[in-house]
Amino acid sequence: MTAVVEVAGLSKHYGGERGSRVHAVTDAGFALEENRIHGLLGRNGAGKTTLMQLLTGQEFASSGEIRVFGQNPVENAKVLDRVCFIKESQRYPDDFRVKHVLATAPRFFADWDEDFADELVERFRVPVGRRMKKLSRGQLSAVGVIVGLASRAPLTFFDEPYLGLDAVARRLFYDTLLADFAEHPRTVVLSTHLIDEVSNLLEHVLVIDEGRIIIDADADELRGSAVDVVGPRGAVEAFTSDREVLHRTGLGGLASATVAGLDEAGRTAARDAGLELAAVSLQQLVIRTTIGESVDPTKGTPE
Amino acid sequence: MTTMTAVSAPRSAPSRVWRIVRLITANPTTTVVLPWAILGTIFLLNWLIWLLIFANVGAEGMTDAQEGIQWSGAAFYIFVYMLVLAVQAINLSFPLALGYGSTRREFSLGAGLTFVLLAAMYAVGMTVGAALENATGGWGLGGTFFRTIYFGGDQPWYLQLWIYFCWFLFFFFTGTIFASVYVRWKALGLIATFAVVGLAAVGVIALLTLSESWNMVWETIAHLGVVGSVSVLLIPSAVSALLGYLLLRRATTRG
Amino acid sequence: MDDSRPIFLQIAEQLENDIISGALPEETQVPSTNELAAYLRINPATAGKGVNLLVDQGILYKKRGIGMFVADGARARLVAQRRDQFRQQYLAPLLAEAEKLGITPGQLADMIRTEAHS
Repeated sequence: MTAVVEVAGLSKHYGGERGSRVHAVTDAGFALEENRIHGLLGRNGAGKTTLMQLLTGQEFASSGEIRVFGQNPVENAKVLDRVCFIKESQRYPDDFRVKHVLATAPRFFADWDEDFADELVERFRVPVGRRMKKLSRGQLSAVGVIVGLASRAPLTFFDEPYLGLDAVARRLFYDTLLADFAEHPRTVVLSTHLIDEVSNLLEHVLVIDEGRIIIDADADELRGSAVDVVGPRGAVEAFTSDREVLHRTGLGGLASATVAGLDEAGRTAARDAGLELAAVSLQQLVIRTTIGESVDPTKGTPE
Repeated sequence: MTTMTAVSAPRSAPSRVWRIVRLITANPTTTVVLPWAILGTIFLLNWLIWLLIFANVGAEGMTDAQEGIQWSGAAFYIFVYMLVLAVQAINLSFPLALGYGSTRREFSLGAGLTFVLLAAMYAVGMTVGAALENATGGWGLGGTFFRTIYFGGDQPWYLQLWIYFCWFLFFFFTGTIFASVYVRWKALGLIATFAVVGLAAVGVIALLTLSESWNMVWETIAHLGVVGSVSVLLIPSAVSALLGYLLLRRATTRG
Repeated sequence: MDDSRPIFLQIAEQLENDIISGALPEETQVPSTNELAAYLRINPATAGKGVNLLVDQGILYKKRGIGMFVADGARARLVAQRRDQFRQQYLAPLLAEAEKLGITPGQLADMIRTEAHS
C-alpha cells in the first residue's frame, strides 16, 4: 500500500492578529492510501474545504508538511495534473454554458472519458445548453459530479457532491461512483456531512471538527467501535463506570450511553446485566464525538 | 487487490498553457462574435449620422465636419470592451483553472498569451477596416471611423497594424492588473489600488503643472510621433503583465 | 445481535446464508466482488474482505481468471458451524431464562414440541 497523500503538522490560519486569527486547520496529520474511497466528514465550517484546498495547492499552508504523490502540490504541475477538485462553491466564467465546461475539461484531465461524460449528462439530465449561472443547485452539483467522475483523475475530490440533488440523483451518483471505481480504481475523497448516506461506500474515514482531525480510522474498525447501551439508569451507570463513554442521554429512570470499544466479552456482560445493545451508525458516532469533548472511539478496540 | 491506476503521460508544458487559452476563449460569442457585432452596429449608426450631418452642413461646412470626425472616439468602445474582457477572464477563469489542476504560473502565461493573440486578431481586423475606409474614400462619405487621430490617421498598413496592436495590448493588460489585484485582495485591494493610482496621477499632473513641463511632454509625444508614442505603451503593458503574475502567484480561490 | 458489526462480516454471513439455503449450490460461481459491491452499495474493498474471509475458511475457492466458486462440502460444513452457533446463541440464553422462571428442561422440551405442532 502506498500513500497518495501524506500530511504532517498541517495548520492554516487566516488573519495576522492573535486575537482575530481564524484557525481553519490545526495541526492535522494523516495519510490517504492509494485506490481507496476516503470520507472527509465533519460539520459545515469544520475545515473540510480548506483542507482540500490545501491538498490541491489552492491554499497556502501556514505551517506543516503536505505531500501529494510524494511531492509538495503547490504550483506543481506534475502533481496537479493528476488531481481533480471541483469545489461545491466552484465559480465558472459568466459566459459559460454546461457544454463549455464539458468542452474544456478534457484538456485538463489526461484520463478523461468522453463517452462516460456524455452518458452521465444523459443520466443526470443536465441541460447542456443552459448557462452555468442559470442552473439550479442540483444541476450545478451534477456538473461537478460529472467532471469529477469522467476526469478519472488519480486523486479526485468530491466536495458535498449531493447538494440540491434529489434522492434519485444522489443514489445515481453513489451507484455510478462505486461501479466506476471498481473498474477504474483511484483515490477518492468524499467530503460530506450526510454521513449515513455514504458510510457504506467508505473504506477510510477522517472526521474533522473545528479544524482538528478527531477521527482517522478504517470504516470497518469504526463501525463496531461504539455501541449504545440502554437500560435502567442504575444498571447503565454501573456498567459504564469503568468504561469510556462518548455520550449520555436519559429519560426518567432510563438511560442510554454510547460506549467506545466494547468487545465481545463486554457485550455479553452488558446483556447479562439486563442492558440492551443498539448499533451506533457512523453518523451518530460522528455527531456524538463532535458535540462533546473529543475522544478517540477506536481506543480500546480489541486487536 | 493491487490494481494499479493507469497513468497517462503528463501533458507537455506548451499544451498546459494552450489549454488556458482555450478555456478563456471557450465561448467565442464573448471573445469574437459580440465585440465585432457591436462594433459593426456602432459603425452603421456612425455612417447614418455622417449621412445626416453632411446632408445638412452643405458644401462649405464639409471639410470642417470631416476634420472633426477624425477625432471621433466611436471605435474606442472596442478597447474598453477588451479591458472588461480581461478583467472577466482573469477573475472567473482563475478559480476554474485551479479546480481543473492548473498552476498559477500556467494560468498567467495562458491568459497573457490569450490577450496577445486577441490583440493581434483585433489589430488585423481594425487594420482591414482602415484599409477599406481608405479605399472607399471614407465609406463613400469622407468619414473617419478606423483612421482617427488616436490611431495615427493615415499610415501605411503595417504601422497601422502596430498602432492598433499596442493599444489593444495596453487595454488588455490594464484589465489584467486590476483583475489580479481583485483576485488577490478582493474589493479592498482594488479600492486601495484605485486610491494609489489616482493619487499618483494627481501627483504627476501637479508636478508637471507646477514645473511648467507640459510643453516638454507634448514635445516629446510630437517628437516620438504616433508610432513611437504607442510603442511606449508597451512598457506599462509589460509591467502590468509581470505584476499581474506576481499577484496571482500567491492568490487563492477563496470567496 | 446488533448490526454495528463490520460490513464485511455481514457480507460473509449473507453469502453463507445463500449457500445454506441452496441459493448458491456447491461448485457454482458466486458474484464477483464488484458485482456484490454494486448490488449492496458498498465499497468493493469491503465486499472483497467478506469474500476473502470465506476463502480463508475454505468455503469458497478461486479459479484463476474465472472467479470465485462454492467449495465442495461447503454447505455441510456451514450447517455444522451454524448448529454450534445455534446452541451458543439461542439454547444457552433460553435455558438460562427458563431456569430463572423455574421451567425444567423437561418442561421446556414439552413446550417446544407443542409449539412446533401448533
